[in-house]
Amino acid sequence: MHVRSYRTNCCLIGVILLSISFCIETTNALAQDVVPSVEKAPMPNDTVLAAQQQRIEAMRRASSATVAVYGTDGQGGGSGVCVSPDGYVLTNFHVSSPFGHRMRCGLNDGRMYDAVVAGSDPTGDLAVLKMVGRSDFPVAKIGDSDTVRIGQWCFAAGNPFVLATNLQPTVTYGLISGVRRYQYPSGTILEYSDCIQTDAAINPGNSGGPLFNIRGELIGINGRCSFEKRGRVNVGVGYAISIKQAMNFFDQLKSGRVVDHATLGFTVTTENNGRVAVSNILESSDAYRRGIRYGDEILRLGDRDVTTTNQLKNILGIFPDQWRIPIRFRNETGIVETHIRLQSLHLASELEEIIKGESPQQKPQRKPGGKEPVPGDKEKLELPKQTKPVTKDAVDALFVEKRGYSNYYFNRFELDRILGLQAAHGSWTGSADAWKINGEIPGENIAVEMLLSDENLTMRLGDKTETVHPLKGWPKWIKQRSSIGALMGMRVWQQWNRIGPKLMGEAVYLGRNPIVGRNGLYDATRITVSDFDVLVYTSPDTGLIEVIEVFSDRQSDPVELFFEKYETVDGRVTPKTIRLAYGLESQFIVSINQLTRNETPVGTGL
Amino acid sequence: MQKRLLLRSRFSNRYGFLFVSLCLAVFAPTLTKSSLATDLGRDANVFINNETLIATSQEKVVKLYGAGGARGLESYQSGVIIDNVGHIVTSWSTVLDVAKIRVVTFDGRRLDATMVGMDPQNELAVLKVEDGGLVGFDLSRAAPGATGQRVFAISNLFGIAAGNESCSAQKGVIMASTPLTARRGKTKSLYQGRVYVLDAMTNNPGASGGALIDLQGRLVGILGKEIRDEQAGIWLNYALPMDVVKSSVDRILSGNTSVQTAGLKAVAQPHRISDLGITLIPDVLSKTPPFIDQVREDSVAQRAGMQTNDLILLLNDQRADSRKSLEKMLATINRADSFYVLVQRGQELIRIHVRP
Repeated sequence: MHVRSYRTNCCLIGVILLSISFCIETTNALAQDVVPSVEKAPMPNDTVLAAQQQRIEAMRRASSATVAVYGTDGQGGGSGVCVSPDGYVLTNFHVSSPFGHRMRCGLNDGRMYDAVVAGSDPTGDLAVLKMVGRSDFPVAKIGDSDTVRIGQWCFAAGNPFVLATNLQPTVTYGLISGVRRYQYPSGTILEYSDCIQTDAAINPGNSGGPLFNIRGELIGINGRCSFEKRGRVNVGVGYAISIKQAMNFFDQLKSGRVVDHATLGFTVTTENNGRVAVSNILESSDAYRRGIRYGDEILRLGDRDVTTTNQLKNILGIFPDQWRIPIRFRNETGIVETHIRLQSLHLASELEEIIKGESPQQKPQRKPGGKEPVPGDKEKLELPKQTKPVTKDAVDALFVEKRGYSNYYFNRFELDRILGLQAAHGSWTGSADAWKINGEIPGENIAVEMLLSDENLTMRLGDKTETVHPLKGWPKWIKQRSSIGALMGMRVWQQWNRIGPKLMGEAVYLGRNPIVGRNGLYDATRITVSDFDVLVYTSPDTGLIEVIEVFSDRQSDPVELFFEKYETVDGRVTPKTIRLAYGLESQFIVSINQLTRNETPVGTGL
Repeated sequence: MQKRLLLRSRFSNRYGFLFVSLCLAVFAPTLTKSSLATDLGRDANVFINNETLIATSQEKVVKLYGAGGARGLESYQSGVIIDNVGHIVTSWSTVLDVAKIRVVTFDGRRLDATMVGMDPQNELAVLKVEDGGLVGFDLSRAAPGATGQRVFAISNLFGIAAGNESCSAQKGVIMASTPLTARRGKTKSLYQGRVYVLDAMTNNPGASGGALIDLQGRLVGILGKEIRDEQAGIWLNYALPMDVVKSSVDRILSGNTSVQTAGLKAVAQPHRISDLGITLIPDVLSKTPPFIDQVREDSVAQRAGMQTNDLILLLNDQRADSRKSLEKMLATINRADSFYVLVQRGQELIRIHVRP
């Protein structure tokens, strides 16, 4: 009896005081001795009421973009957040993987929408879904997770314990407890690097759901908790993948691929004197080719300084493989600034194994204890009736199964988008295969002539002439860093425009990658031709080719042909200035004077 | 059956102590330099935002590493710097059962601390770091907490932070200020005094010894050790109020309950452990805890009420932190004189008058 009255009292006081202190938390102007009286609750002032109104508004907006994720049979459950009006949803890989390719997504308008999985990132525990049925889905405003600081207020929205039977998300309020946390992966997957720690309640079912800052801007994707011996409920420690990482991967995930994370090609240790030094380096790595050696001190990676090994892992974890990111290091001669190309963390076969292991039939039971992802409850749910029924066929049309892909449909979709953009620049299709390009190396008075045909490729540079097969034997020249690389790049440009990437080889849309020396991200498409790979970077706005890279093997730098300037000639956008580089070193620039197709001049002439 | 279980748990407790002491987990976080921020909370009228408040307070919370790392016992916990001469208050636990406790400051500096003394009643200990240039909370500004008050907890719970990474911050409200004795029998705790019960999930592995601060950055309490309601399986989130903490700190710093064996003078005919009729567990560590292994029938110790499995904490109010120091301290007491010991028996502290 005694115990009960103590508890009741406690509760009562707790509830009253909680409601009072809740009003106080955003306005620290009242931070002086807050000792509220139980008998007479103080009237909140205008500042407090205004702050509360702002919070209500932020939560209302945020809730509309919060998604409840279920299986097609209403089983299981997790959360997600809609980030584009056409219905792309960010969620956790461990939420989507048990459902197979189809699922149902609920919004707080009370409707259920059919959805398919687009891409998966098992390493970073992310997935992108596509909802069907609207073109005006409510979207979350993307925030800047780099400005998140410990002590800021935040809130999570989602579907904890699959409570959202009316599809209204549960909002939990909390404090940013830590930033730039590194949480070790389980094996090589579900690594949380550079994540945000919060004491806002994150429970089973919150996984994949959004974490917002107090203004209602999306700063993270919730997905993990520390549990240890406390059982599988919130113990005041939840982790969210930073929105910076999620958005770095977003376009990769829209490609429908199983995307990979990266390694640097070297490992580091933190020495006793605080130096973060290279402890091991692969000679085949891009880092090695850029001059990094055993014992060199790593000072900066991406846009952040490195002072510990954890920081390096944190920074690395937010980037997709194949990205080229800036690095600063120190060797005996001084400080060097360069860019390195990130290598894939897994082999394609390893990723396939992971996906297979996480598929609905084969998902293993995770061991209890430790830090774990928080999947939803397994309860069956009575789902609200769908207002706009989409036939199974219409949704299934958005799914194409293919080895190595989460959903191959989206890869074709993205590639068609790029080709659609290019249509505005005039058509080269059907044009004859024999092209002649005349130009010069500006300032050096060296004439350049290129002949591109299905028989062979010939380049005349000054008084030197080289010939190469239009498809084979390229790697030999690439390894020698030959100037003939420009010819290869132009051949790729020609074929991309003449016959299109799908006929050149196996074309895969990768997502968006940065280009060294340019701002923003560019659509990247990889084409596997006979014995070499080509990477084509196109502008996401215009679809024009910005850079073509031709790879021989992992040991050598690829050809890099930059398309610096275009001009419209006879209704077609034609390259005017191209630049050849190998491993960040420019070889020469060619100013193109004339492009002749099948003896018909299309250039402006000399 | 129950008795057997009980015996086993006592046995494992005794040797578990030894075991974890053997497993020293020494972490190797990194060194970096960072400037010390000023005590922004000094003027109560200054507007302080949460970020600044917490950032400033975090510089006064340290990560502690010592013994443990096995059998569900963590080898890490949190500590709070309480002055500018290197004193750190923390929970008294098995983590501290090492000669040098590793202290990692907010800026990643790794320092060694020794134990100044402990207060078994309040389960608190004070450590000392030499020449660390540490800046701590001003204990004279420590504030009493009130029920309903909003507070922040700062600790290295789950050992999430390493090196120069920031300790975790959590929000909370003091739900009640109440004695833990009300929960006696349900929760195992040596400490039976007043606590602030918190509505936040503050008391996790590694959090004990962390700081509870008010919205002006004043120290309100020290996070307690993990306590679990044996019946309901619920973990209690609580902190020790600053008046309790201060009383322990004062007692420890004034020399009571301190570890001082160096200056003691041995007498000609002292007490000996064997003469008292007790056998301690074998002295295999640099600091073997003085656990009683056996008590001889009809001996001085048995008549006084000492029992197998008792852990001797204090001898005449002086801390006996190891078998060696207990022997040294006994050597200073004349065989004809009586003395007091404080022993820990299960979750109880018992004061025993030993008459020859």
